[in-house]
Amino acid sequence: MSEMNELAEGVSRRQLFQRAGFGIGGYALSSLFQADANADSEDSLLRRGLHFAPRAKNVIYIHMVGAPSHLDLFDYKPELQKRSGQLCPDEFFVGKQLAFIREQPSLLGTPNEDQYAFKRCGESGLEISNLMPHLQGVADDLCFIRTLHTEQFNHAPAQMFSLTGFPRFGRPSVGSWLSYGLGSENENLPAFVVLVTGQVLGAGNSAWGSGFLPTIHQGIEFRSQGDPVLFLSNPKGVSGADRRKTVDSVKHLNSLRLADVGDPEIATRIGQYEMAYRMQSSVPDLMDIGSESKAVHEMYGTEPGKTSFANNCLLARRMVERGVRFVQLFDQGWDHHNSVFDRLSNKTKEVDQPIAALIRDLKNRGMLDETLVVWSAEFGRTPMAQGRNGGGEEVKIGRDHHKEAYTVWMAGGGTKGGHVHGETDELGYGVARDGVHIHDFNATLLHLMGIDHERLTFRYQGRQFRLTDVHGHVVEDVLV
Amino acid sequence: MKSWKNRQNVENGGGHGVSRGFSFAKRILWIGVCVGSSQWGTVRADEIDFNRDIRPILSENCFHCHGPDKETREAGFRLDIEEAAKADLGGYHGLVPGDADASEVYYRIVTDDEGDLMPPLKSNRRLTAVQKDLLKRWIEEGAEYAEHWAYVAPERPETGVLPEGGNEVDGFVRGRLEEAGLKPSAEADARTLIRRVSLDLTGLPPTPEEVDVFLADDSPRAYEKVVDRLLRSERFGERWARPWLDLARYADSNGFQADQLRDSWAYRDWVIEALNADMPFDQFTIEQLAGDLLPNATVEQKIATGFHRTVTCNVEAGVHPEENRVNQVVDRVNTTGTVWLGATLECAQCHDHKYDPITMEDYYGIYAYFNNTPLEVENPGGTGVQFSFYGPKMELPIGEAQAQEREELQGVLASLRRDRKALLDNKEDGREAWEERMRAALKNPPKWEVLEVASFESNGGEDFRILKDQSVLVTGRVPGSVVYTITARTDLEGITGFRVEALTHPEIPGNGPGRGDAKRANFILSEIGIEVLEKGAKRGRELAFRGASANFSQVKWEVEKAIDGNPKTGWAIGPEFGKPHWAVFETAGEVGSSEGATFVFTLDQNFGRGRTIGRPRVSALVGDSSSLSLPDDVVEALKLEAKKRNNKQRRAIDAFYMESNPKVKEIDAEIARVDRLFNELAPPTTLVMVEMEEPRETKIMKRGNYLDLGETVTAATPAVLPAIDPSFPKNRLGLAKWLVSPENPLVARVTVNRWWAEIFGDGIVSTVEDFGTQSEPPTHPGLLDWLAVEFVESGWSMKHVLKKMVMSKTYRQDSALRPDLLEEDLGNRYLARGPRFRMSAEMIRDNALAVSGLLSTKMGGEPIMPYQPPGMWRQVGRNEPKWVDAQDEDRFRRGIYVIWRRAAPYPSFVNFDGPDRGSCVVKRPRTNTPLQALTLMNDPAYVEMALALASRLMVECPGATMGEKLSHAYELVFSRRPSEGEAQHLESVYRERVTYYRENPETAEVVIAGAGEVVKAPPGVDAAELAAWLHLANILLNLDETITKG
Repeated sequence: MSEMNELAEGVSRRQLFQRAGFGIGGYALSSLFQADANADSEDSLLRRGLHFAPRAKNVIYIHMVGAPSHLDLFDYKPELQKRSGQLCPDEFFVGKQLAFIREQPSLLGTPNEDQYAFKRCGESGLEISNLMPHLQGVADDLCFIRTLHTEQFNHAPAQMFSLTGFPRFGRPSVGSWLSYGLGSENENLPAFVVLVTGQVLGAGNSAWGSGFLPTIHQGIEFRSQGDPVLFLSNPKGVSGADRRKTVDSVKHLNSLRLADVGDPEIATRIGQYEMAYRMQSSVPDLMDIGSESKAVHEMYGTEPGKTSFANNCLLARRMVERGVRFVQLFDQGWDHHNSVFDRLSNKTKEVDQPIAALIRDLKNRGMLDETLVVWSAEFGRTPMAQGRNGGGEEVKIGRDHHKEAYTVWMAGGGTKGGHVHGETDELGYGVARDGVHIHDFNATLLHLMGIDHERLTFRYQGRQFRLTDVHGHVVEDVLV
Repeated sequence: MKSWKNRQNVENGGGHGVSRGFSFAKRILWIGVCVGSSQWGTVRADEIDFNRDIRPILSENCFHCHGPDKETREAGFRLDIEEAAKADLGGYHGLVPGDADASEVYYRIVTDDEGDLMPPLKSNRRLTAVQKDLLKRWIEEGAEYAEHWAYVAPERPETGVLPEGGNEVDGFVRGRLEEAGLKPSAEADARTLIRRVSLDLTGLPPTPEEVDVFLADDSPRAYEKVVDRLLRSERFGERWARPWLDLARYADSNGFQADQLRDSWAYRDWVIEALNADMPFDQFTIEQLAGDLLPNATVEQKIATGFHRTVTCNVEAGVHPEENRVNQVVDRVNTTGTVWLGATLECAQCHDHKYDPITMEDYYGIYAYFNNTPLEVENPGGTGVQFSFYGPKMELPIGEAQAQEREELQGVLASLRRDRKALLDNKEDGREAWEERMRAALKNPPKWEVLEVASFESNGGEDFRILKDQSVLVTGRVPGSVVYTITARTDLEGITGFRVEALTHPEIPGNGPGRGDAKRANFILSEIGIEVLEKGAKRGRELAFRGASANFSQVKWEVEKAIDGNPKTGWAIGPEFGKPHWAVFETAGEVGSSEGATFVFTLDQNFGRGRTIGRPRVSALVGDSSSLSLPDDVVEALKLEAKKRNNKQRRAIDAFYMESNPKVKEIDAEIARVDRLFNELAPPTTLVMVEMEEPRETKIMKRGNYLDLGETVTAATPAVLPAIDPSFPKNRLGLAKWLVSPENPLVARVTVNRWWAEIFGDGIVSTVEDFGTQSEPPTHPGLLDWLAVEFVESGWSMKHVLKKMVMSKTYRQDSALRPDLLEEDLGNRYLARGPRFRMSAEMIRDNALAVSGLLSTKMGGEPIMPYQPPGMWRQVGRNEPKWVDAQDEDRFRRGIYVIWRRAAPYPSFVNFDGPDRGSCVVKRPRTNTPLQALTLMNDPAYVEMALALASRLMVECPGATMGEKLSHAYELVFSRRPSEGEAQHLESVYRERVTYYRENPETAEVVIAGAGEVVKAPPGVDAAELAAWLHLANILLNLDETITKG
């Protein structure tokens, strides 16, 4: 009987990696098979499974839902300012697909006011808007890509396109691919965690879904209200000691069953109950930012117990510290079709300080080198003014969705600090030099993690699928 | 044969890119396997078979550049077609049959010249020595090609020797086992077997009574009787609808931004009913793809077309409707290909297929069949860029009584609307008249003139003095009830109303305005009367009022009640004490004259306890008062000319008018009430396919881009498959008929293979979603073909085929993993044991509901919302629907009825691998995660089921010992009795728990109360015992066996 169990448990270990727990990932799995390795050398095998030496081990990927006006934050266009109010050139409008604008629009420059002015920052002289004074302070750590372009101009499809490389349902998101490729560093926490402020984005769960990959690779949302992980807390009146008894009984009875039927799946399940039990303490511990110092709270602007973007930034650092591979932050509220300047400044007030704090904090702790921080969105916003809302009524001026070129940035994780890649034309409409397609961006992200985007594939429906479809080039210029 | 050892890791349909050559290693193991089908059986183990041995190598390594896709074809050379590969290339040949050394292909794969080497170095593809050798032998043996096996129609193969008591399935399986040197397992015990087959066929466990009946039946047909009973059960359709609805990507919401709900559940019910009726699969296919195009299509046949209306739809602002439509058609094409052909057509949306012989022309040929449906989003206002979900809907039939009642209500509604219109059109006080009056009133704004008091009288005997501001301060005695009479004279003319103020004063208790109570300084003006004595008139005239308004009225003491003629009601101002108040009474006509008139105000205040006004003052209103109550935005809007008002302003005026006109208000309330009744009786709707009268022209989309169109194509089926009967209509109906025509080599195979995978855990072709050239070869090709032929010849009967499967000895085997199988065949590909694997998300929940006694078997209708944690639905966008936990039997109905919202599917389903249903899913993964453990332990839905199970044991086994109760629990949950070890363990846990809860009775109460929101402890049970049983029930629902079909 016990021999049978041992045998089954041996098999179970291997099964585990592919479909159980939080997944040690495809590479580790293949290594195990090729080398028939024992558990002790998992870590070294994991590294051998990579395609090249990784520059980053973890990612904190901040997606600004709705798409911030990059032109008023990161891509200063004096010419646009000068010509603000003039009708836009025909080629910006004629034959183009725009989401809201239906009549030839006028150009819209950043207001000529101090609070919106751009400043050359740090030694690198990177230009950043005064709307983000804290970010200005870490300019030398940022790597701007001013020429990201996408193929979708509606939110939900564009979100799916930027996060899964495909504008419709059914494909794995970038975090799932990394979970699949690299697995988790902490067996008590998922490899891919999602934190949301505001409403959930239009793409819904698919934005962190695993598509055709095994579902263990899907993002797990950690919530700031209720149970941080669904069903984490015990029912009323059931103590931790009571729950221990349950887990012990489940283990005992499952072991009896395992002895009878020999199915390694049972051994795996016994392990999952232990893991679940450990999560009941490790997750609350992780989520308890009350243990952070006063200085940390002041730096981030965090308040324990609150739901805020700042809290999520701090949580992201705590997760990366504990080995979560991919932390994805979604922040809702950047879709400024009207009153763009007022609303943008309200939003930057929420995010500027905590994002800068996150970068500083990671740096102070020596983690920034191995942690890639990404600021992204599903698209950018037009250099043309939008003057009507969805119902066709006139509203205070805003900017429409823009797919031709927009700015995203990375920090740490092997990217060049204080660097700008690419240039848009003088009006900020299109790529003037060094365009970066979404597939290129995702290829670069994988590259930083030590993965060749052409080789991280999953066979489904007779085809090797990958995050970048059949496209994508690594943007070498942003790498250190 | 250790070939399957590695397979267990690819259960999810995937290998991964790193271990190249790994998949080939699997393939070559097919050599040495002798198989018995007509197509496969001719191949001897040591002979090269193109499909088995060669095509996979070429497909994986060569076809990408030398295959079907002309756009990426290199050097104009094609290796996927025999003639092209053997053609003269100008003095040399790609393949020279019988002579490898003369064949350019062979030279290219073995050369040392890096420039010539194939596959090229940069492709990252490498052939192994074994592969090169195979190719060499193949060329030497004549380089014979064969069509991909799945494109050749199946013929019924020989079954081999049937074991005693077994059926044809076993003939094939036993043959393979023998070759592999494996022994089949013994038959599973009866309890295991009935639980297994009940779960497989109905998705629910057997009741203890059903188990007993089966055990007691010693006829040789006992098992078959069970199978027949299960196949007849209505639960059958509910269980088998789940995998079909995964394929159909059925959901109750649009997907994308907002992700609003929409009604399509009649289609879900259609599937359940069709499966229960064992509708022949060809009909099942035709009605879903083209039921609307059948002659005299019935309502049901139209509902069936919901299959392709389940597709996602983007209605976010700024969407381009045509792009949305194209995406929907693409999804329909791809899903049709996957479900019926096991083909990955979507590759050919942008370019010719890289591996399978599907060209872009083929793709858009099928596309053309689906291209004649209307847009499915619309811009409701006709302006702007906001969109709503649209597209063809059908009303479902309703009963005669309901229809009649609806018709009557419709009549009532029509008459009410006529009345309303008449009201609005009325020249005297209709909508336009009102607006004109208001505009005039605004030009003549009213003005208050305080009236000089000529005399003040009271019947209460108080003191009073008239102050400078012409208010009367009443002091001294505080009578309970009183009538004030104030007389004033004025020569104002054109008076349209009077104001009565109730002012404060330090001499009034609590500052007033009422006199009776310093803390609650209220007053009640029960009734007011104003009499006018005009010059020359002998007698006074009582004024009539048009209305009353006040700065504030107490709830239920509105100011109108001071002029309602009822002395028991009146105007009061609690709790706004200590502040001045006013009421205005509009007169029915203008009064007053430049020659002077006398007005007598009678203020009746009969409530008692001194609720009387401490300091009244009266004023007259000259000018038009009707504009007084207009809010600022309405005033602004009215000042504009009608044409210049925007929508918002127009709405503001309308809204105010409706609200301020009591007649309109009344009729609107009535319309709303009747309309609600009418809507409650409205027939539900469902989404259906319809064909546009004018078909669209279909053009190839270059690189799949709908804005970049190429050549025109007409509806056509792929060239590689048997041609369509020219007599079939050139529409979806023709396509559907073609799919299920007897020549089609794929449909039956693909379909029976999916059912096999549902029952045995993996397909005979393990790539259930793909039967193309890149697919895994079948483990039992003969069995696959036999089942496919049997399926068609049985009249496409699903139940017939499923019965064959579950009646087989193969199915009935013990599912335990013998040590030899753990080594040799962990994934059970040889089927030397019965199936054993974790249930689907829905089945886990259904099973737990059933064993806990909560399950409601109510069928059909609108989707249900059982318990889910709060805050799961918080998508961005308009009209976010609300989740409301059902408190009735809907809380406990089967998972197939749970509402499926794509952006946030039911969370416990997600934790057990439920998909988002955004796209067609053929095979759900089967994972094993800590989140699943947390779900079963802590999800309040499962905790409530545990409480129900515990309660059930207490109620169903009164007076029984712990051991007897436990035995009953095991029969309920596992259809068996506990082993000695299990019983021992649980009895000791139980003893410990009862002791604990007896010592902590409050905890017992908390645990029980916390476990059930709807389920409550049965009356009279011992709380400590129930809490202990709750602990045990929670354990039982968490066991591997509980969630496993074994």
